[in-house]
Amino acid sequence: MARHNLGTVVQFEFTRTVKKRRFWIATLAIPILLAIVFGLVFASSSNTQSLSEAQKNNQLAFTYTDASALVDPAVAKALGGTVESDPGTAVERVRTGKLNAYFAYPASLQKEPVKVFGTDQGIFKNGSYDAVAKQVVILSAQEKAGSAELSAAIQGNFNTQSQTFKNGKVSGGLETVVPPLLFLVLFYVVIILLANQMLASTLEEKENRVTEMILTTLNPTTLVVGKVISLFLVGALQAVVFAAPMVIGYVFFHDQLAMPNFDLSNLQFQFWPMLVGALLFVGGFILFTGVLVGIGAVMPTAKDASAVFAPVMIMMFIPFYIVSMVVSDPGNLIVQIFTFFPFTAPITAMLRNGFGSLSGVSAAVVIAELFVFGVLALRVAVHLFRYGSIEYSRKLSLRTAFARKG
Amino acid sequence: MSNDLSQPLVHIDDFHMKFGDKVVIDGLSFDVARGETFGFLGSNGSGKTTTIRALLGIYLPTSGILEINGRVFSDDYGARLGYLPEERGLYKKESVLDVMTYFGRLKGLTRAGAQKFSRDYLDRVDLADKADVRVDKLSGGEQQKIQLGVTIMNDPELLILDEPTKGFDPVNRRLLMDIIEDRKKAGATVVMVTHQMEEVERLCDRIVLLKDGKSEAYGTIDEVQNLFGGRTVRLKYSGTVPDSPRYKVVLRERNYAELALDDAVDEADVLRELVSSGLVVRGFVAAKRSLDDIFIQVYGEAEGASAQAQAETAVN
Repeated sequence: MARHNLGTVVQFEFTRTVKKRRFWIATLAIPILLAIVFGLVFASSSNTQSLSEAQKNNQLAFTYTDASALVDPAVAKALGGTVESDPGTAVERVRTGKLNAYFAYPASLQKEPVKVFGTDQGIFKNGSYDAVAKQVVILSAQEKAGSAELSAAIQGNFNTQSQTFKNGKVSGGLETVVPPLLFLVLFYVVIILLANQMLASTLEEKENRVTEMILTTLNPTTLVVGKVISLFLVGALQAVVFAAPMVIGYVFFHDQLAMPNFDLSNLQFQFWPMLVGALLFVGGFILFTGVLVGIGAVMPTAKDASAVFAPVMIMMFIPFYIVSMVVSDPGNLIVQIFTFFPFTAPITAMLRNGFGSLSGVSAAVVIAELFVFGVLALRVAVHLFRYGSIEYSRKLSLRTAFARKG
Repeated sequence: MSNDLSQPLVHIDDFHMKFGDKVVIDGLSFDVARGETFGFLGSNGSGKTTTIRALLGIYLPTSGILEINGRVFSDDYGARLGYLPEERGLYKKESVLDVMTYFGRLKGLTRAGAQKFSRDYLDRVDLADKADVRVDKLSGGEQQKIQLGVTIMNDPELLILDEPTKGFDPVNRRLLMDIIEDRKKAGATVVMVTHQMEEVERLCDRIVLLKDGKSEAYGTIDEVQNLFGGRTVRLKYSGTVPDSPRYKVVLRERNYAELALDDAVDEADVLRELVSSGLVVRGFVAAKRSLDDIFIQVYGEAEGASAQAQAETAVN
């Protein structure tokens, strides 16, 4: 019966959340915004690319002056440029449309910018002036260097591959840091997205006066666990919807969107850091969930609950004020306190786990602490729900709640 | 679990309940037999709802035995229970059908079974076209009908109704009475927590009267009436009813009055006295004291008046 009811609660809670228009508005708002941004980037990129292509075929007509003596006239000519014969009136001629574009190369490119003047061709096409002005200098420099390799070296267009060793074994760099930190990102996403829903969800029985009917048909633990599971599923759905545009963009429109290259094959998923990260995530989730359910059970309305809820959420962000200390000086007393204080522990420990400064013993202690406090918080939350939600319009007195035998 | 049908379905023995230092229930004991309709009576604050909540495991008792079907209540029994709590509500943002199906599923029905019951019930109470409407879009009376449907959708063997007519309009009050009759015919046990004496006299086989957490009277209605003794004379008349040491006028209307008599007083003497005073007596019926009278005696004039007022509001 309990399992049947758990399934029923999960199904009801999940279905009714995802059936709401409000949910989809909130969930789709970010992907749609991202899609719009990506669309603009795509359009801009396509335009720039097509302009570049067009530039190759239809040269951009421009004149230039070169105080730096870096510009190779042959290169400039090949790109459509001619030396300006009357620099004093060039800008005015561009202004009046008599001249298409004029570039003024300064004596020192390090100290001064290249001044680019052109007739307006729209926000996307105007970018081609800058591109051509730079291309003239780059190609001229390559000509002077006389070697593409040397040119690439000067521009820093090359990669390195490093390998470090720890205890006789190859130690990871950023490739090993990133995977465990994914749990940190996931933790933030899940808690931030779901915290309000969790709070509202447990308040709902009270606000709708259905507590007694629920408590006589359903074990409160089943109800609370069912809500937690359904909200986790809701969070997973939201995460998928949020990530979908980025993944689709990265996989299918990577070049057009000018997305940076992530060589995922370099990521190293090490067993212990990943296991510790996963356990910290689950323990932290249980702890925060239990606390939020407890707040919902004690407070009569969502408005009252939000006043207590805010400080709990703030504690999630406090570790980021000392993130540089967490990374560079993990033995610092403050970092140690943040590592073991339950509400700051998930974030601090996940950061330290990612950067490899969380010892096995510390990890075990934090994980055990999170699970113990998490389960305790859930038990207290269920107790408070059982007695708090029956108070309906009143705030539950904790003394009264814990005075009851239980 | 007890399957002995001779055993009471509800058994409460020496139940004590304290909230902090405040004693709410003080040694309450009573049984509810299978198939009977039982009235659990008391004034506001006398401990009725607390007792029901403790019986249903919502509160943990300070001490005592509270059992249904031979064991302490657990949510497993929820599939056989129909409970209409004093504080009522439904998930307001969901559709009627979704809410009914959800509760039906929690009470052990299959999805198809819960939906079938829901549609049949909605048809019965003329709300078939509201199945997909959100609960908060329904009128108060329509929500009450849904609430009643949810209460009985699992064909409960035990129906506990806490202040069942509270806030109900006359249409839903009638619907509730029909439901109680149906459940009685089906052999269900009904516990009515109320202070509506008219309903109790009409429906209940036995009652317990609770005052300040203690039982004041317990038994059949006849037994309780006998326990408090006295009789009531229902009088139709013209003129003015005189005061007399033989009786007390407990209700006085234009051509109707109710007189409370002690056991020692002979009705014939009262009738003679009324006639000799010049009163034109058009009707004179002596009967046992009404539960209303007893209620007023037990709980005092103020509570009695309050109960009477509530009863009249519900009726009107």
